[in-house]
Amino acid sequence: MYKYVIRRVMLAVPVLLLSSVIVFGLMRVMPGDALTVLMGESGNIGEKELAKLRKDLRLDLPYHEQYLLWLWQMVSLSPGDSLFTGEPITVSLRKAIPVTLELTALAMILGLALAVPIGVLSATRQDTPSDYAGRMVAVSGLSFPDFWLGTLVITFAAIWFKWIPPIGYVSFWESPTRNLQQFLLPAAVLGFRLSAATMRMTRSTVLEVLREDYVRTAWAKGLGGRIVVYKHALKNALIPVVTVVGGQLGVLLAGAVVIETIFALPGMGRLTVEAILYRDYPVVQTNVMLVAATLVTLNLVVDLTYAWLDPRIRYR
Amino acid sequence: MPTQGSNGDRSGVSRRQFLRRAGGAAAGLSAFALARPSRSVAQTASPYPEWIPASTKPAKRGGTLTRASAWDPPMLDPRMTQSVGLFQFAGLTSNRLVRYTFADEAAGPGDMGLKGDLAESWTTSADHRIWTFKLRQGVKWQNVPPLNGRELTSADIKYCFEAYAKEGVQTFNFKEIEGIETPDKYTVRLHMQSPNVFVAQALAEPISIIFAREVLEEDGDLKKRCIGTGPFILKEHTRKVKVVLQRNPDYWDKGRPYVDEYVILSTPDAATRTAAFRTGQADFIHVASPSEVEVLRKTNPNLVAQSYFNALTPFGLAMSQDKPPFSDVRVRRALAMAIDRQRQVDTVYEGHGILGWGVPYMYYQDKAPTAAQFGPWWQYKPAEAKKLLAEAGHPNGFSTTLFYYEYFPQMTSQVQLVQADLKKNLNIDVKISKLDYTTYYGRYVDPKWEGLSWGFQSGHAVGLDERTYQYMHSKSTKNFFRVNDPQIDELTTKLRQTSDPKEQRAITKRIVDREFDQVLRLWMPYDNGFMIFQPHMRNGAALALRRTDAYGSPQIARVWLDK
Repeated sequence: MYKYVIRRVMLAVPVLLLSSVIVFGLMRVMPGDALTVLMGESGNIGEKELAKLRKDLRLDLPYHEQYLLWLWQMVSLSPGDSLFTGEPITVSLRKAIPVTLELTALAMILGLALAVPIGVLSATRQDTPSDYAGRMVAVSGLSFPDFWLGTLVITFAAIWFKWIPPIGYVSFWESPTRNLQQFLLPAAVLGFRLSAATMRMTRSTVLEVLREDYVRTAWAKGLGGRIVVYKHALKNALIPVVTVVGGQLGVLLAGAVVIETIFALPGMGRLTVEAILYRDYPVVQTNVMLVAATLVTLNLVVDLTYAWLDPRIRYR
Repeated sequence: MPTQGSNGDRSGVSRRQFLRRAGGAAAGLSAFALARPSRSVAQTASPYPEWIPASTKPAKRGGTLTRASAWDPPMLDPRMTQSVGLFQFAGLTSNRLVRYTFADEAAGPGDMGLKGDLAESWTTSADHRIWTFKLRQGVKWQNVPPLNGRELTSADIKYCFEAYAKEGVQTFNFKEIEGIETPDKYTVRLHMQSPNVFVAQALAEPISIIFAREVLEEDGDLKKRCIGTGPFILKEHTRKVKVVLQRNPDYWDKGRPYVDEYVILSTPDAATRTAAFRTGQADFIHVASPSEVEVLRKTNPNLVAQSYFNALTPFGLAMSQDKPPFSDVRVRRALAMAIDRQRQVDTVYEGHGILGWGVPYMYYQDKAPTAAQFGPWWQYKPAEAKKLLAEAGHPNGFSTTLFYYEYFPQMTSQVQLVQADLKKNLNIDVKISKLDYTTYYGRYVDPKWEGLSWGFQSGHAVGLDERTYQYMHSKSTKNFFRVNDPQIDELTTKLRQTSDPKEQRAITKRIVDREFDQVLRLWMPYDNGFMIFQPHMRNGAALALRRTDAYGSPQIARVWLDK
């Protein structure tokens, strides 16, 4: 097991290295640079001043030097400063990461709390009205884009209830009530999409498992429906569900970009998108690498979870 | 982040915007088949007033004013950015030497009169090369370290102007100052390199704020602290969350500001900003179309709406007029006659827009120009346009490119309508490229591009010199439209040496006439929009070129809450 983990961690190194080359290269291929944005539309600045500013920001270095410099900064866990604000990236991340973590974690909890029971219900009552209703909810979740649902929710909340989540992020430790008011609605919107895919997967795997011999045996032994479904069927049905949920984490992070914008939450999504638009190279590169590392780690965690769910799976 | 025109809500696509965009595109397609709408007027009459006079009630002190804003300040250094994100509040923490009239003292939205801000009075020499400003006495910097409420002196102004000239986005303007004298603590004398009657106007621009020398000396830049002599003290700036401004109790304009706090909430999505207004989380917002106002009125029947009227359009077709085919004036005129701008106003802007012109009309006439005043080349005459293009040697049209950045969703509809008009009327094939802001801007300011671009003039400055010499003189770094016309060069230079207001108006009119005759910048329609206020907000009216929520933010010092 330990060897397996070490091997997976070692494999992650070339993946991350490749990601770093890709993100660095893509940012340089994009036309314009931070100075273009920094200067806004002033038209008030000459070539000489621009060259000086470019030098100040180290944008005049050859690409390979810029890459190596950044790589060293990443390895030494000191990713540098934003080209725009001059703020250390670690400080920006310390502010943004908790927001996105809270949003995605809440979305995950809400999504799963909705998906698993409805999925199981759909499966155990196949082709009944409750199954159709559950499937409709799932298809809706897959069909509605986040930006549309988010906009709709905030608009109708304002019209019908004269209420929207308070704008102006407050951390959980500062005011738990206000923080939850700010996060529950966006998390529900984000989680709805996650729940859709999970719901469908839960339904089909539970259906499949319910037809297995050992479940039939359980029924034959006279066990109650609840015990058969939840104790014998569900745990085995959850393995593919865990895979789907693991895969959905990337989707959640992507969805967070839109949801953070609509609900005015200062998370990683907004930080990264803004940095891309402004060509704030160090911020984009660091954020992308952080997401890449997170996804690599999460995939590893998903693989390890298999063993817990299915003791037959052993890592060599 | 970039500077905005008066409709600079750039972020996110709301449901309404999405529908409007779809509607605009549909309108563009269906317009071929439909009879053209009436073109007798450029804009339909709005049921809302264009001007809200100052409240006659005695002002009340206290309360918190809140606004949901599309913009975030990229940084706090006024030397390094002209972003509306910064100047939506920097004019509240800091003063300028001179300022434009505020809404509560103006005769109307077009009042461009100048008043003293930090300067009590100013004079100029006969040749307009020496400008002397007498400072108010007893003005104190905000009582926060490292200034700790010390008195403002002429040395501060000198230091600040020299810093602007040395580095950053305002060097071009401030380098026109040859030398600065400070004969005493309260007198600043500017020696200009060349005669310029518009120096006071330039120093009244929202971006010409006076910053604190101690901050620059201690920090090496102004990116982190924003300390001035203004009515509000910057209490908190959390990026992408909010800006909190607290009343400056030692402000030199005694009694002001009236509100205790002004909070700007970072809200990139338009639908969320609207929802914030609906639920009372925001006290005022800007919306683009009449239908948006009507929808808002359903939930907020007591809202107060000001029908904003734009004095200029920030956007138009920029042509690479230094190269064929656009170097031929006949081609430019043919394009102007082949584009149905009234249809854009009627469909894209729901009738609430202007046809488009580049120099604020109040600098040369009292009322907004009518379609007829633009001259013969600006009337929609497709047959004549085709004839003119044939005379220019393009009877079968030609192919060209057009790149743009979508500042707001309606712009895409306009670009598509232009493409359709040019194809239908002149057989010109326009290949459109929609770019992200940085790519667009990088390409646009590099004078190598060919074909067409959806050009802009930014909204951070409102003066006549800015709108003529700075944007049209062939040698100016802001001449993005690549105007290269000896008459324009001569007239714009003469204008900055002419002090008589009547003569100024006459010269400006000649500049405008020349611009329209030669189709040097092909202006496109632009929406007028509405400022919407909660019923308890007083004295927040927007002025021409100075929207209260944008570069006209210093007006907030005069706002009070009638609660």
